[in-house]
Amino acid sequence: MDESATRLLQRIVRRTPTEKLKATLEKWDRLTAAQRRSVDFTEPKWALIEKLVDACKENEFKMKHITELEMILVIENPNQGMWYTFQLVDPEDDAQSVDLLQFQEQFKSHLRELKRNVSVKIKKHTDQAVWIRIAWGDSFSRPNHLKPTYVVHQLQSPYIFVSSLTSKLKPLLLQALTFSTRHLAIKDANLSGRKLTAIRDLLMKEYQQVFPTKYPSPLAENNQTLSNLNIEREHAEASANRHRMAGEAFGDGTLPELQFAVYKMETKFKDPTNVAMTERDEPFRCVVKFSSTNLLESLRHCAASGLASTPVTPLLSSIPLKGRNYFVITDNAPGAASRAQQPQI
Amino acid sequence: MAASLNSSESDRSSLGGQSASSRSNNRSLRVAEKERRRNEAEDPFVLALKYFSVVEAGTPVVGNDDFENNLVLVERTAYSQGLSPEAISIMLEFAMSLRMGTAPCARVLKCLIPASVVPQEAVVRAAVWLSVGKIPISTQVLFIKWVLTVFDMIDAKDQLRAIYGFIFSFVTEENLCPFICHLLYLLTQKESVRVYRVRKLLELQSKLGRQPFLLHLLSLYKVFCPELVTLSIPSRMRGAFRNHVSPWKAALTAVQKRNGSLAGSSVSPALAVRDKSGSRKRKHCHLQLPALTSVASDGARSEQTSSRTLVPLAHLQSFDQLLKNVHRIELPAQMGSLLGSSVALQYLDCIQDESALLRLNFWLGCALHEEFLFCGDGATQTSEALQFLSRLLSAQHFLQEGFSSSDAFLYKFLNVWDGSLLRPQILCLLSNIPVIPSSQIRKLLFEPLTQLFFTSSLFFKCGLVECLNNMLLKWLTWHSVYALEDDLDISLNSHTSLNITLSGFKDSVMELIHFVGHLASVGLQLEGCHALLLSFVLDFYETVCDTFLKFGLPLVVMPPAGVFYPAFFATDPVSVDRLAHIMHRYKVNLTSAKRQEKQKEQAFHISRQTFQEFNHCVVFMVNCLWNSRMFYPGSDVQPGEELLLGSGVPRYWASFDFIHHPAFVSYALDFHQKCWPSRKEMDLSSIKDSKPWSWYLDYLFSQGFDGLKDFLKSNISRQAAAVDEQQR
Amino acid sequence: MSLLKPFSKLPGLNTANILLVENQEQLQHMLADVLVKETPLTVTVRLAKSLPLPVDESRPRIDLVVFIINLTSELSFQSAEDSLKYLDPGYFLGKVCFMVTNARHASVPTERLDALRRLAASLHCPLLFAEDQTPEGVIGAAERLLTILKVSAGVVPMTTALYLSNLTRCTLPPDIDQPSFD
Repeated sequence: MDESATRLLQRIVRRTPTEKLKATLEKWDRLTAAQRRSVDFTEPKWALIEKLVDACKENEFKMKHITELEMILVIENPNQGMWYTFQLVDPEDDAQSVDLLQFQEQFKSHLRELKRNVSVKIKKHTDQAVWIRIAWGDSFSRPNHLKPTYVVHQLQSPYIFVSSLTSKLKPLLLQALTFSTRHLAIKDANLSGRKLTAIRDLLMKEYQQVFPTKYPSPLAENNQTLSNLNIEREHAEASANRHRMAGEAFGDGTLPELQFAVYKMETKFKDPTNVAMTERDEPFRCVVKFSSTNLLESLRHCAASGLASTPVTPLLSSIPLKGRNYFVITDNAPGAASRAQQPQI
Repeated sequence: MAASLNSSESDRSSLGGQSASSRSNNRSLRVAEKERRRNEAEDPFVLALKYFSVVEAGTPVVGNDDFENNLVLVERTAYSQGLSPEAISIMLEFAMSLRMGTAPCARVLKCLIPASVVPQEAVVRAAVWLSVGKIPISTQVLFIKWVLTVFDMIDAKDQLRAIYGFIFSFVTEENLCPFICHLLYLLTQKESVRVYRVRKLLELQSKLGRQPFLLHLLSLYKVFCPELVTLSIPSRMRGAFRNHVSPWKAALTAVQKRNGSLAGSSVSPALAVRDKSGSRKRKHCHLQLPALTSVASDGARSEQTSSRTLVPLAHLQSFDQLLKNVHRIELPAQMGSLLGSSVALQYLDCIQDESALLRLNFWLGCALHEEFLFCGDGATQTSEALQFLSRLLSAQHFLQEGFSSSDAFLYKFLNVWDGSLLRPQILCLLSNIPVIPSSQIRKLLFEPLTQLFFTSSLFFKCGLVECLNNMLLKWLTWHSVYALEDDLDISLNSHTSLNITLSGFKDSVMELIHFVGHLASVGLQLEGCHALLLSFVLDFYETVCDTFLKFGLPLVVMPPAGVFYPAFFATDPVSVDRLAHIMHRYKVNLTSAKRQEKQKEQAFHISRQTFQEFNHCVVFMVNCLWNSRMFYPGSDVQPGEELLLGSGVPRYWASFDFIHHPAFVSYALDFHQKCWPSRKEMDLSSIKDSKPWSWYLDYLFSQGFDGLKDFLKSNISRQAAAVDEQQR
Repeated sequence: MSLLKPFSKLPGLNTANILLVENQEQLQHMLADVLVKETPLTVTVRLAKSLPLPVDESRPRIDLVVFIINLTSELSFQSAEDSLKYLDPGYFLGKVCFMVTNARHASVPTERLDALRRLAASLHCPLLFAEDQTPEGVIGAAERLLTILKVSAGVVPMTTALYLSNLTRCTLPPDIDQPSFD
């Protein structure tokens, strides 16, 4: 076991909570039963690390074994780091028939063509998703396993989720992905967040949604607040209305946890009293960022409680509707209301 | 000028520091030598220490296996059992002198975990190196952070205080400033506050903006020398010193735990110190380290102890020890810890240490404000707050006076109080408030209390009346203890020079009594003369009626009609009896005041109106109870004759005599039955005959109505059976 | 939309009606649950987000209007201020009070509390403080409202709403940042 593998192992162990470590090691299934038993998880981390490093040296593990461990950990805890989304467009005729083996081969060969010294590891997870770990090197250096890029893709779906990718390597990776999935192009989907599952649920519409109906009165049993007769809500109707509209925009059940939404405005400054600003040719630029531990939930609450006006403005409702959280707002046409368009990162 | 002064001072101290450093360097060598000889087995740890004390300057670090091995050895010992004071001296000296360059410096600092105490000399010497060597800023910060972490374990602070100016000179270093400010905050004494330092800090503030650490230090300066700091300090300051993410904390607690189990008894006072200011834990957690100094350190220190060594208060466990060491007490860095230990409170009480009280008050004010007035997101932990307030209360009880900062806090808190949060504690604190001048009392106390009183439940009303009764009692007691015959000035507080004149005091007391009278009369009206509230009100007037005889205050205030009549017409005999007792005491007080006035021609004078009010009440009571003459000329209520006849009440004039008063009618019936068991027909008015009448009175008195007994004895001559109302 | 009037309807026998106006609609529900439990008197609680109320002929006479204001929110204060103008002046003779939450919160600008005090003082209304974080605090707040409600509904003999509000109305805040006696 070389030094870089040892360092990677040390870092993995240091960053993993002890209680998770035990289950992960079992899943990894590389250590012998005796070795596993000898690890005492109540010891402090540094002692644990020493023991594990010794055990791995004993088994003469290579880097690939350690990266395997890391992949298991990342797959188990997909809600860490920042995930960005890309969307494949223009599928070729055979795009629907790409299978895992083919994809694996194609991807590796495409990537190797584009860049030397890349270490790729592909693993198929139980939920149909393909997890790819890429350690980048360049022509003169070996792959850096301490800063790997992770890619998650479900075959035959148009979406690809990527974490920790530098802008320099982005075109290479995207090109390899486009070719190996038999598509012609790929574009940024303008959705990012800390929770991979949440982003995926949002894009795949895997959360409880409400569809607008002609009959706005909510079902009787939905109204469980069968409260005291002596309590009367003066604005009950208006409030029910707000709740319904908030539900229509954001859904009724638990929502995917997004952390932020960014609106970049490039609009004309309009204020008749401020001539200097209004007559500028340059657009008025400003960035608005909403952030919260659960942004959609917060927005729904704002709308339901009347903090935000209802019906919900398309600016907010298009987050779940279009599945993205980065918008660029430009002046559409003179006089027309500003609308979300041309999103780009 | 300030700068030149500073630098000269720092020069001096750095020179002194260097000589001291070489001296103690020799000593630490000697100590290490001795240690080595004792352990014939050549303890590798001792060897390692020796290596660091003798290693030559300029020795390379890279590839130096000796160095690596020795350092690992020291680190292992440090993390497992902590370093002895000598080891700390050696390692600190090694690191800060940069003998092997800057590389190992941070690493060594990180493993400096004291097992018992940190020798002061070592810290001073290291501080001197700060200006001598070329230590990178990050390492300097690390060093100061370390000092802050182990501050309570430094065996004495006098030398550190001596180089206050030297340490102060580092505030100009932008990265060090927050930490230096914190250190200065812990070291500051009244003497250290100087004009040029204040000026320097203000200058920094104008440069860096209103940084909380500067403000905090300045506000401490202001506490010590209000005349030097004219800056107005905002009352809401939060988290001034947020530098507690120290790398030593975990290791230190681990070492302490291990050592603590060895010397179990030594930890207990320290633990007591820790939980007494429970709510502070979150903010000043690093100061809350149980000082494991106590027992373990004493032996180690004794050899180097000279007469100047100070004894931390936390080490004292009994009053005896306090008496022995009273001249060399070291106050803890965390003043709040004084609140919980009785020894510390005794110290505060008998030493009259102004700076200690100032610091305690300052801390208390900040703590109360942060916890109760400007809370963070999480609601105040009620159990923690409860514990904190009861500590405060018991400390106040012990000292028999309040702290000025808690008073100031209360005046503000009353304005946002909901009347139920921590009610018993707040009311108790309120009753400890010292006399407030009558010009302020309305704004500070009465206005917020009026609003709370009238909008709150009956129980709050009772509680508040009781609290105000206690407050009055404390004021009066204070007066009777501290007022001297010939000196009309009363000191408001044993530690401050605020004085109030006797007439001022009388005004305040009068305001308070009138205020309660107002609350009581309207409160009784709102609550339908509730017996419980009435009882608390009568408690209050039992205090009021005896101000002259019991407390020597020449002041008599009669209850307002709104209290007198509800008490008199109450349906329970106890209230009537207590009213009679109160009237009796009023009479005793008034007569003796009158006598004294005549005798001594003294300045005090009880107004004619008071006597009139008193007579009015007594005449009414006697006429109702005794003479069966409810309506008589001059009484408060005089309805027309036709109206009374029209009401259809038979013998309306006798409705409230001893026989027919609703409170006593059951006694009259009982008496009637006992007196004439054979009579079939009830005729209560037959009790009115002179013989049964006196039997009936004796019967009533035998039921325990002593108040009535005293009242009748002092107001009615039985033979004449007439009102003795011409006495004045 | 209608102007709320205090004397346009006859009072019901042994009933008291309270209107809780709160923009955030949180504390009012908790308070309502406690208030309706009052037994000797029938208390009906009406909850509103803001004034004016929708037209409703069957609405009984409202004996007490309570504006609940969360001091940490500017919106809450503004909404209450805007609602005030939909009240008949007759209400300000003792039938309006303000209830403030979060007054001890660190993020409250002092100016807001001062502004609220000025508002309450200018309207001669009582200003109550409430601790809405704990159940005990809510119960305590409800009890205090009941105390006032009973008086303004006329079920406490010998007093009137105007008399009580004269005793309890808010006074301008004293400047007691640093009380000094010298």
